[in-house]
Amino acid sequence: MIVLIGVSLLIFAIARVIPGDPARIALGPNATAEAVVALRDKLHLNDSFLAQYGYFIADLLRGDLGLSLYTNRPVMADIAQFLPATLELVIVSGIMMVAMGLPLGILSARHRGGWIDHTVRLVTLLGVSAPAFVWAVVLMLVFSYFIRIFPIAGRISDSFSIQTVTGFLLIDTLIAGDFRAFGNTVWHIILPAFALALSGIGQAARLVRSNMVETYDKPFIEMAQAYGFPEKRIARRYAFRPSLIPSLTIIGLDFAAMLGSAFLVEAVYAWPGLSRYGVAVILRKDLNAIVGTVLVISAMFLIVNLIVDLLVSIINPRIRLSQRAS
Amino acid sequence: MKKTLTILTRNPLSLIGLILVGIVVLSAIFADVITPFPEHVGAVVDFSNFNKPPQWPNIFGTDLVGRDLFTRVVYAYRISLVLGIVVLAIAVPVGVAIGLAAGYLGGWTEYLLMRITDVFLSIPPLVLAMSVMGLLEPTLTNGMIAVTVMWWPWYTRLVYNLARSEKEEGYVLAAEVIGASKAHIMVREILPNCVPSILTKMTLDFGFVILIASSLSFLGLGVQPPTPDLGSMVAEGAKYLPDSWWLTVFPGLAILIAVFGFNLIGDALREILGGDQ
Amino acid sequence: MSAPTLKIDDLKLSFKTWSGTAQVLHGISLHIKKGERVALVGESGSGKSVTARIVLGMLQQLKSARIAGSVEFEGVNLETLKPASRHALRGTRMSMIFQDPTSSLNPVYPIFAQFKEVLERAQPGITNEKAREKAISALADVAINEPDRVLDSYAFQLSGGMNQRVMIAMALANNPALLLADEPGTALDVTVQAQTLKLMSELVKKHHTSVLFISHNLGVVREFADRVYVIYKGNIVEQGPTERLFDDPKHPYTRALLSAVPRITGGGIPDLDDDPGRFTAPLVAHEGYSERELLA
Repeated sequence: MIVLIGVSLLIFAIARVIPGDPARIALGPNATAEAVVALRDKLHLNDSFLAQYGYFIADLLRGDLGLSLYTNRPVMADIAQFLPATLELVIVSGIMMVAMGLPLGILSARHRGGWIDHTVRLVTLLGVSAPAFVWAVVLMLVFSYFIRIFPIAGRISDSFSIQTVTGFLLIDTLIAGDFRAFGNTVWHIILPAFALALSGIGQAARLVRSNMVETYDKPFIEMAQAYGFPEKRIARRYAFRPSLIPSLTIIGLDFAAMLGSAFLVEAVYAWPGLSRYGVAVILRKDLNAIVGTVLVISAMFLIVNLIVDLLVSIINPRIRLSQRAS
Repeated sequence: MKKTLTILTRNPLSLIGLILVGIVVLSAIFADVITPFPEHVGAVVDFSNFNKPPQWPNIFGTDLVGRDLFTRVVYAYRISLVLGIVVLAIAVPVGVAIGLAAGYLGGWTEYLLMRITDVFLSIPPLVLAMSVMGLLEPTLTNGMIAVTVMWWPWYTRLVYNLARSEKEEGYVLAAEVIGASKAHIMVREILPNCVPSILTKMTLDFGFVILIASSLSFLGLGVQPPTPDLGSMVAEGAKYLPDSWWLTVFPGLAILIAVFGFNLIGDALREILGGDQ
Repeated sequence: MSAPTLKIDDLKLSFKTWSGTAQVLHGISLHIKKGERVALVGESGSGKSVTARIVLGMLQQLKSARIAGSVEFEGVNLETLKPASRHALRGTRMSMIFQDPTSSLNPVYPIFAQFKEVLERAQPGITNEKAREKAISALADVAINEPDRVLDSYAFQLSGGMNQRVMIAMALANNPALLLADEPGTALDVTVQAQTLKLMSELVKKHHTSVLFISHNLGVVREFADRVYVIYKGNIVEQGPTERLFDDPKHPYTRALLSAVPRITGGGIPDLDDDPGRFTAPLVAHEGYSERELLA
């Protein structure tokens, strides 16, 4: 909570220190001096910094992030329109990261020192060595142009019209009961989600591997081996489970970082998410919209980290038991 | 130091890393000598040669106004490396100083400094750099500022954790007992023990700074044309896929090679020196 | 006469490293008869622990390890067994107790989960109820009076001594023929160590379990072992019955080892033999206690 207040203060401060008069920018060069003064009054721009921040927080608590000077609509409405597409992409990527990164890491750790390990390490290092937009372009080139198995852009083909309920097309198509549209949505999201997930998969696999290799040196692993427990069981219950606890925190951070990288992938795949809006408002110095976008993304980021902390406390008996006791 | 280098050259993976980084750094330094058309760095137009696939003497092909792509990629390396050096040269000392102070001094200093650091860490890195960038004019200098602003907290966190555990070590207690000053203990006793981890992180980060900077310029929030930049080259070329594939593939590959090289070395260093995850 | 439980003959071990090979065992021979408690004594790095791991077959998987010589278990040469049948012996016919009981138990599962895994080695598919019943009676044997509470706890919630008892109970739960005890309880307080060792001693006597007791602690060995092998830098240097070896050490290394123990009656730190060259003198077996005589 303290952190969220801090974030809002920081963003607000950055937004206020920049040169230029927001009222003047908003009204354009032809506005009269009276109009500018009037707008400055309306936007509380003549008050002290803290008072301005107070107004800002009061509005924020009412769910009001102000008007976007670029779209002329409430920032909240803009974000509500674009955020679901971004979240859908990030969530699918996050699932890919966990579903592919963890098994790769486990595989690598089980065969530590062998050729499988070396191959996985090399491939995952390659994965983290290029920004998401490079992977997006490469995947598009290979799977949309040379081998034409995936679509080039967008969330769904134009021939479908789906009623917006949640804004998450994967859910909305199911609500509509249109399974062909659902399939079409899946088909559209695979490539961008994979491009976004690649570095996360690499990070997760490398992290799980190194934590597991460290755990493999622990006495309780030797004990399990001495008692002849099956190797797979040792890998799963004795090496992986204990090393999941430190890994999970970092994987949560990586997942949250995807919220940022999503901007890059959306740009390549013309994904109608927060990216185009975000970049557009940044280039136009649309302060309310910038502050709103960054705040919402940071809030998501914090929520993800909270969920991760919760998960860690569930799987770590030490934390679980100490909480029960207190 | 010398021993570390010997180990690096003996391990095949880190040797590849050294070679890749060597190629990148040398080509950036000697860009004027090795590129066939150094004048193509600027706003040159040569419509008789525009949009040509890779061929001699344009081994990476030419761009939409007929400039040699290889030349521009090599010069973009020069800019990326300078950016990486500047960013780390500012972010590391700042981050390390704050982390040392917070970790060793403790008390309200620790509370205040770490809460501020947390605020910076709780905005996704790219988004933070983007918003700083958006409020400034998109230029190279401002790009460096934006990336620096997002980078220092990570060093603060690393050094903070190290300083907190080193604080309990016997050698620190010994220094306190003989009455050494706090500044002396932080700089002369604790700091040297953090150096291996900081160095490892810096090597890995050099690649990631290049990666983030190229992401910013990919979104149009970084270096502006005609200055060559890998990210904006990919962004520009992506509009002409798949026919003019070389416009995106070579700059993209250039980013991959540089970052991969630094990562290979950083990985090996982490195994030799130990360091953070 | 039946074959000894364990018979090691001319066992050699070396590790291949970057700078050549490092010889760890130079050909050691020892045996344990049924129900016999034998100690392998030496300082750290002498090759005691690797011996136990070779018996279990845990070093063989290391690519850098080179092993020669034979290890026979109940008359069967283990090297001739298929890996699967060799693996089947672990945790069932042979088991092991480790130095630090607390860190040898998995921190993310309660004790019962691990106990059941141990029991499953002998009885695959054992039900939870049956496993619990067996675990409770095994814990009763090591004088744990709140077995249910212990089974539902995590290792980090229990004291070191309690964990040590749990380990002993696990090690003997499947009634193995051979127990390898590697510096058991060295990480514990001396009094706790003494208590748990006494428990272990009584149990193995009751079950006629053969024990290879690996230790550097001569006091403990004297209490616990029937026979002693002294190992120095990968060679057995002296062997004999416990009493005679302690009263009349013949090898220079054994003498040095015995005199290195500070006396509780005072007299300062004893003078050590400062000529380690003599420690490499050949094996001395007490009369009637050479491998040849004992196995005849």
